[in-house]
Amino acid sequence: MDEPQKRRVALKVLGATLGASAFAYAMAPVRKWAAGLSVDQFLQRHYRELTKEELAPILRRLEAKAKADYGRDVVIRDPDPLEGAEFGYALNLSVCIGCRKCAEACHVENNHDRTTNNSYIRVLEMEQGSFDMERGDATYEHAVPAPGKYYLPVQCQQCDNAPCVTVCPVQATWKEPDGIVVVDYDWCIGCRYCEAACPYHARRFNWQKPEIPAEEINPDQSYLSNRVRPQGVVEKCHFCLHRTRVGRNPACLEACPTGARVFGNLADPSSDIRWVLENRRVYVLKEELGTHPRFFYFFEK
Amino acid sequence: MGGVQRNLVALLLAALAAGCNRPQQPRRFGPAPSASAYPVTTNQPPRLVSVGTGESDARGEELRVPCVTCHSMRDKATVPESTAELKEFHVGMTFAHGGLSCASCHRGGQPPTLGLADGRAVPTSEAMQLCAQCHGPQFRGYLRSAHGGGRGHWDLSRGPREKNHCVDCHDPHVPKFQPSTPVLPPRDRGVTQQTKEASHG
Amino acid sequence: MTPQRHAVDYPRFLLRMALLSFEGTWRFYVWMTVLSAIALVGANAWAHQLAEGMALTGMTDHVSWGLYIANFTFGVGLAAGAVMMVIPAYLYDDHEMHDVVILGELLAIAAIVVCLLFIVVDMGRPDRFWHILPGVGRFNWPVSMLTWDVLVLNGYLLINLHIAGYLIYTRYLGERPAKRWYLPFVFLSIAWAISIHSVTAFLYAGLGGRPFWNSALLAPRFIASAFVSGPAFVILLLQLVRSTTTFKIGEGPIRTLSSVFRVTILVNLFMFGSEVFTELYSGGAHSASAKYLFVGLHGKTALVPWIWSALALNLASALFAHAPWPEGRRLAMLNLACVAAFAGVWIEKGMGLIIPGFVPSTLHEVVEYVPSAVEWKITAGIWAVGLMVLTLAIKLALPVLSGEVRARGAAGE
Repeated sequence: MDEPQKRRVALKVLGATLGASAFAYAMAPVRKWAAGLSVDQFLQRHYRELTKEELAPILRRLEAKAKADYGRDVVIRDPDPLEGAEFGYALNLSVCIGCRKCAEACHVENNHDRTTNNSYIRVLEMEQGSFDMERGDATYEHAVPAPGKYYLPVQCQQCDNAPCVTVCPVQATWKEPDGIVVVDYDWCIGCRYCEAACPYHARRFNWQKPEIPAEEINPDQSYLSNRVRPQGVVEKCHFCLHRTRVGRNPACLEACPTGARVFGNLADPSSDIRWVLENRRVYVLKEELGTHPRFFYFFEK
Repeated sequence: MGGVQRNLVALLLAALAAGCNRPQQPRRFGPAPSASAYPVTTNQPPRLVSVGTGESDARGEELRVPCVTCHSMRDKATVPESTAELKEFHVGMTFAHGGLSCASCHRGGQPPTLGLADGRAVPTSEAMQLCAQCHGPQFRGYLRSAHGGGRGHWDLSRGPREKNHCVDCHDPHVPKFQPSTPVLPPRDRGVTQQTKEASHG
Repeated sequence: MTPQRHAVDYPRFLLRMALLSFEGTWRFYVWMTVLSAIALVGANAWAHQLAEGMALTGMTDHVSWGLYIANFTFGVGLAAGAVMMVIPAYLYDDHEMHDVVILGELLAIAAIVVCLLFIVVDMGRPDRFWHILPGVGRFNWPVSMLTWDVLVLNGYLLINLHIAGYLIYTRYLGERPAKRWYLPFVFLSIAWAISIHSVTAFLYAGLGGRPFWNSALLAPRFIASAFVSGPAFVILLLQLVRSTTTFKIGEGPIRTLSSVFRVTILVNLFMFGSEVFTELYSGGAHSASAKYLFVGLHGKTALVPWIWSALALNLASALFAHAPWPEGRRLAMLNLACVAAFAGVWIEKGMGLIIPGFVPSTLHEVVEYVPSAVEWKITAGIWAVGLMVLTLAIKLALPVLSGEVRARGAAGE
């Protein structure tokens, strides 16, 4: 090898070394991200492929992680759907006053990020005489009910023909036997196709790690519902399945000061929700899209 | 296409089919909801035993007079037509409940009771019947938990339910639901002043 | 030839190519260094996005896809558009085109790499990529259009890698490529090119809750605009390769591609116009997105300058490509038309198509989207990587195809 050739090789080696170290330096912030990941989590299988025995250690690991990340002892359970139960929800537009207490209850119950006031419920202030959401407003802050307005709370409609379930490329979201559309937060890849597909703005993405003070965390949690979600995955209303699957009412229903909300078992002909569907003027949102919601709106008179 | 390619395509399709039909565990179920074992109760507002006089005692606490002070000793048979006729107690009471008069609900007599439109008397604990005679749709909704709200279980085989009373939300004399400031305004990403201006613009 | 021979020759070929990719003129070094620097800025921005979360982007729950998916969509068009070289070369036996068709295939490879990178950076959890692998994860095929897109994009990448790799490798060995090993794949790639862009259009068109996308014209429009941006890029690329290498490129391919380009630019404008007419003439709630795009909605006008620039660029491009310029200026004006069309389609199909699908939101809230600095950095970084892939691929392929680089003992040396 002559001198210029040697110099060329040396320059190339130097260039390659510089390039490699520059790349390592550029990617350094990834270390912070990788610190929150674990091999167990990486290899974890889809919820529906796990037996109860396989799920148990996962729940314990998630509890330990909640303790480490948020400094709170929590209990993460996995309540099963109830035999023969088909959940439905109805909302009385005649009495809803738009106070957003339901949204607040959801915020607290479901361990939502505090900085963004996140909630699965969005209440639209609508103009009387119009169904046009274009003329609605979700950010009102004046006293309610305001004259000439009515209020339309919107949350996941738990569609029987759910576009979000259809589009998910990895089956990270599906419909449970009791009609609740759930997300496996440990399986979601965060592509947000479901957010694009949902016609009801029901889905939320974790743009960053949720911030919740330890004392504000609701420790009664479940795998498919209100455990604190990881960064980078999609979440949605799950009809408070950690409550409803043990017979209780959803948090938003209990918080409603006017009793506009009716929750119950659609499969039970004697249930209150069935009475509403049979005796009140009921409609569903965006019926023309063929999503077959399990969430109904009705008028009292 | 050669044999190798054919095998390759077959292999790819097989992998694809396998990927779409991964086995999953059979879903387990909790016990079905069964016959109601727990009661549905109605919140009973505390019994009113005294009225305020509008005056305070030395410690600054409101002076209250027990109902029986008047309504046992010198009760007259008649009830005034409107609040304007009240001269001693209940003075200045606001009343905004349709075209009703005091006598639409209150009956004199001993002890004072409430009275239905057909003349029957009902004790204060049954006040809801009084509301129901005009507000049928609301009352029927209330009976099916579609108006009024409460706490507890949807599944009465797993726990009880407690419902609010009409008067928990509606003051019988001024029943209109009073406006309040909404809580938890949306502050999610992207929703700032711009959205508000737009919706009001 | 025996498989044993390939077991030795193929690694040698790869090693030779790897060493060769570090050889070049000073212009090559400067070009690659600049691209590397941009790519590093992008990599750094992505590392931050991973660590801090996608809160660093301008996206929201209202506009949940942004610059990344916009560029992805455009990139798929670019990859599909490259097929406009393959069709004349193989279907119509255009020999001059046949000599340079490899450039189209390499462009397709680079474009697909760009697309896949844009998908990766758009994912909230790239660590869970294996969930989407068929057989290993839970692949929601055939229901989810996104799984179709995974199949067709990776399939297109493999097909083109095979065709280009096979042709280069056999030429390296000094052998004649066996038709049965690449011709079926070439014809497959033609149909496949249409499929990648149709499937990408169906991703959006299949969403009933998004009236702006929910149009049967979307797939044809995607194909038309792909056949604008693809040929436009290749016309410029051919001239660039001709001026910077010794590779011989005749006038034929540029003439053929400019004929294609002149037609598709008009077809694209026509489809654009008929979409705008349908949206705006009928009015109502379904036209809210189009109104937002073209004139703004409730005083929000972030996209208005974008779409009018896209329209102006596309119209200018059509004018430059069709006006009767004097002979001497014809090529310059064609190049100008190509640049304008490339930029115009990039806006129209990116910011002009993806963003208004989300504005107003499904509850008719008007939340605007503006890409953040992190998004611009990552986007620039990915395009830089794409250009690096393309540069290296062309740089390695041409000397092999022209016979300058051969295996030792290869025939025809």
